[in-house]
Amino acid sequence: MGGLQKKKFERGSATNYITRNKARKKLQLSLPDFRRLCILKGIYPHEPKHKKKVNKGSTAPRTFYLLKDIRFLLHEPIVRKFRDYKVFVRKLKKAYGKSELSAVERLRENKPAYKLDHIIKERYPTFIDALRDIDDALCMCFLFSTFARTGKCHVQTIQLCRRLTVEWMNYVITCRALRKVFLSIKGIYYQAEVMGQLITWLVPYQFSHDHPTDVDYRVMATFTELYTTLLGFVNFRIYHSLNLVYPPKLDSKAEPEKKEVNEEDYAMNSESYLEKLSALSASLARVVSSAEEEEAQLDQFPVEGEDMEKMEAREKEQKELEAQKKLFEGLKFFLNREVPRESLAFVIRCFGGEVSWDKSVCIGGTYEVTDETISHQIVDRPNVDKQYINRYYIQPQWIYDCVNSKILLPVEDYFIGVSLPPHLSPFVEEKEGDYVPPEKLKIVALQRGEKTGHEHEEEEDEDNEEEEEEEDDEEEEEAEEKNLKKMEEQRSQGKSLQVKVTPGKMKVENPARLEQEEKAEEKRLAIMMMKKKEKYLYDKIMFGKKRKIREANKLAAKRKAHDDAEKSKKKPRK
Amino acid sequence: MAAARRLKRVVASQPGFVSLKSSHTSDTVSTRRKRVNKNKKKNWNKHSDINDVEGFLEDVRLQERTTGGLLSEKSDESLFFLDVGQPNKAEQKAPEPVEGKKRKGKQSRPLRIDLILQHDSLVSPPKDVLAYQQPNAKKLRRIAQKAEQLAAKGVVPRRQKRLQNTQPVVRTAKKAVTEANNNPDRGYYDLWGQETKESGNSWYLQQTGKKLVKRPEKLNEKPSVLPAVEVIAPGGSYNPDFFSHQALLQKAHEVEVKKQKEEDKIEKKLVVNKEDTATEETIFREQVEGLVEEENEEETAPNEEEEDQTGAIALAGKKTERQRKKEKAEKIKDQQRLAGRRQTEHRQQLFQLRSIKTSIKQQEQKTKAKQKLRKAKQEAQKAQPRRLGRLKFQPQDMEIQLSDELAGSLRQLKPEGSVLKDRFKSLQKRNLIEPRERAKFKRRHKLKYVEKRAFREIT
Repeated sequence: MGGLQKKKFERGSATNYITRNKARKKLQLSLPDFRRLCILKGIYPHEPKHKKKVNKGSTAPRTFYLLKDIRFLLHEPIVRKFRDYKVFVRKLKKAYGKSELSAVERLRENKPAYKLDHIIKERYPTFIDALRDIDDALCMCFLFSTFARTGKCHVQTIQLCRRLTVEWMNYVITCRALRKVFLSIKGIYYQAEVMGQLITWLVPYQFSHDHPTDVDYRVMATFTELYTTLLGFVNFRIYHSLNLVYPPKLDSKAEPEKKEVNEEDYAMNSESYLEKLSALSASLARVVSSAEEEEAQLDQFPVEGEDMEKMEAREKEQKELEAQKKLFEGLKFFLNREVPRESLAFVIRCFGGEVSWDKSVCIGGTYEVTDETISHQIVDRPNVDKQYINRYYIQPQWIYDCVNSKILLPVEDYFIGVSLPPHLSPFVEEKEGDYVPPEKLKIVALQRGEKTGHEHEEEEDEDNEEEEEEEDDEEEEEAEEKNLKKMEEQRSQGKSLQVKVTPGKMKVENPARLEQEEKAEEKRLAIMMMKKKEKYLYDKIMFGKKRKIREANKLAAKRKAHDDAEKSKKKPRK
Repeated sequence: MAAARRLKRVVASQPGFVSLKSSHTSDTVSTRRKRVNKNKKKNWNKHSDINDVEGFLEDVRLQERTTGGLLSEKSDESLFFLDVGQPNKAEQKAPEPVEGKKRKGKQSRPLRIDLILQHDSLVSPPKDVLAYQQPNAKKLRRIAQKAEQLAAKGVVPRRQKRLQNTQPVVRTAKKAVTEANNNPDRGYYDLWGQETKESGNSWYLQQTGKKLVKRPEKLNEKPSVLPAVEVIAPGGSYNPDFFSHQALLQKAHEVEVKKQKEEDKIEKKLVVNKEDTATEETIFREQVEGLVEEENEEETAPNEEEEDQTGAIALAGKKTERQRKKEKAEKIKDQQRLAGRRQTEHRQQLFQLRSIKTSIKQQEQKTKAKQKLRKAKQEAQKAQPRRLGRLKFQPQDMEIQLSDELAGSLRQLKPEGSVLKDRFKSLQKRNLIEPRERAKFKRRHKLKYVEKRAFREIT
């Protein structure tokens, strides 16, 4: 025996964690500063596995950090800047109190500031790391750029966010990276593919802010501080990957005659450039001015172990993508004043369309309403006074739906005053057997290139038939199994089988049918050969599938009933 | 010094020397001489009589101090003057009133203490030679001379030339401090492109804090597997498909029902039992309690006592030897029986091998299933918000629009919910920040309301 008695909480998890307050004291920072530092450095609180052990026997809920993380924070040069800032504020207060204006001025000139560059480099060692984490940054910047300049946060932050988001949008336009758009009640979701990474971000509708009170603006501002730095560096990099000038410049050579005469009407001289950029209507200047973008066909190298089918599928996908990128090419749009200009201009330009708007809406419109070559005018009001014959008047949803379905949808459903088809979420991917709304089926059919007048009902019918067929097959199988069982039973009972001779019939051999039968037979045999355990699993899977199909059928039937009801309601109205 | 002393002694020995003090001759009184060895220096100092010399030197110093030199060397005119009686009174009186007007009373007279402290010796203090000496004076003088010569020739020294060659300091350059992070015109550069080169010794850089500490790999893991942006369900479209909209509504409804249930539960617990409420009768009884004697109590009291007596444990008598032996034998027998049974059971297990095997298998299966379950639970936990502080994560209300709220077109759409809140909650959900309440403002002192007089007059 012998030895000293071990003391409690001096080893193990109790020594691995540190409470927030202790950490704060160790760093000699105030709580807001500590919180800021943690956010900037990417150090998050940690929930210990055994709270009681860590908390020295107490079960009081506390915020814990890993001790090693806090030790790492001790080396951060920014900590000193925070302390400097504290002293600066104190001095400034004192100077104000004594109303020493010269001292105030001097202090302000030497206001301590810090850079986050090294933190970005440290947290995202490679560019791809940064790109993977850009979702958050984009959301935050887009959000902050829509804030009113009312003192909820620094005006400069808002301006910087605006600049960065405009740069990002211009990049997405230039490399045509947009893939999906979804108009939700919350905001607009965009998805783009940049350097192989799918990036999703959420943009709030304009003028939709009521500032919620239960959000900590200081925390959000700190995140934004970090994210603006991150987004700036990412922007720089992606601009240079496309040989674009950064900070972005408008391509002045291409359209020199489009110089607006009355630029002062829109913005001050200092701001007009950003405004023109944010109009999203002009292309960007390149470092090496190449007249034509040489599109080198990528050589295809079949990876070993990858069969031809996969490669073909990939090729097909790529072709589709190329087609999607040129979706609106050759089309000329005009936006009416009541539609959300920025979003629409962004989407249209992302797919190669030309877009313009009324002079009074924004700077940067390139042609007038009276232009005869306009092919589509986007309108969101019940009627338009003066209509041109040679253009479509459509509602804005058409643009978004076209983008999501990757084809130009028929315009008839989107004319003025027509009640729109539902706007489906492109972020839902239906698995086999799930319920698919008929609108989506219609779009899928259109994608396949089927040209049908009243497609969707037929589609539904077809689908039903298919499902029924499947069920039939299963039933047949079951019937066969039953037959076999019967025969076995009879045999076991020792009865002789009933034998009869009947005149033969000429069998018409249908090769397709035969093949099918053979396949079914093989499948059945395979099922029979299964082990009990596997069989059980198989049955379970099949049961699940059937249930799903059943539910989908139910929903489809419900939908049909709903549609019929709607129709019957409409008819008497007409 | 020695030379000066010698000089003074010489002077003193001359017949014309006048001593200031009369006690000069007193040393000659001691006639008796002590016999001392004079071969030691110590004794020279100790026993040689130097009083005469000391006294003489003292006198010389006194003379120098008070008169500014030896009296014997002074001229007669400086020592004596012709006494011609009192000076003219008119002359004396004339300046006095002027002075009296100038200074008021005694104030302008120097203080006595100052007078005492005044330097009254006529011997000037010795000169500190070192204070006037310049180190390297010769060298400097030479250098200066040379510089003068060169300047005369028109040669500019190197140092000056270097100064002239340096660029003039730009005043604005000093002001280029690090700009604020949120400066809208701030520049960016290729952060990932260039490799930072280490300049200098790595040990030096590390020790002086110029090299950043390497970030641990573990910190780059995200605390949650949830995606940064969770796309709203298809029912949240501004113009949703009927069924997906219904599905979303159903979900929101379920959430709401759950909340309602929780509330109801609390309410149910808080309901007061009707029997517990005080009625007039119970109140009256309470008030009267103890005042009215009740007979029942008296009756019941003696009964309890009786029960107490019967309830007491009767002490058992001592066991006899026989009884003890019997018990012991029984115990041993019992043990033997049990051991025998155990043995047979053990033997029987050989024939139960199959069932044992199956039971083991079952157990293993059970543990495996449990493991699987636990693992699945852990995986699910990864996507869950953790408990990071005092408060639990509260998911935000689902954004929905009822069927009659749905807008027919994009123009009429009323956005639901707030993106800011959505982002904030997303950060909390992904365990990046801990859920927190807004700090409440606490008033230290109570507010006191006072009606102003003007107001009171009106009312």
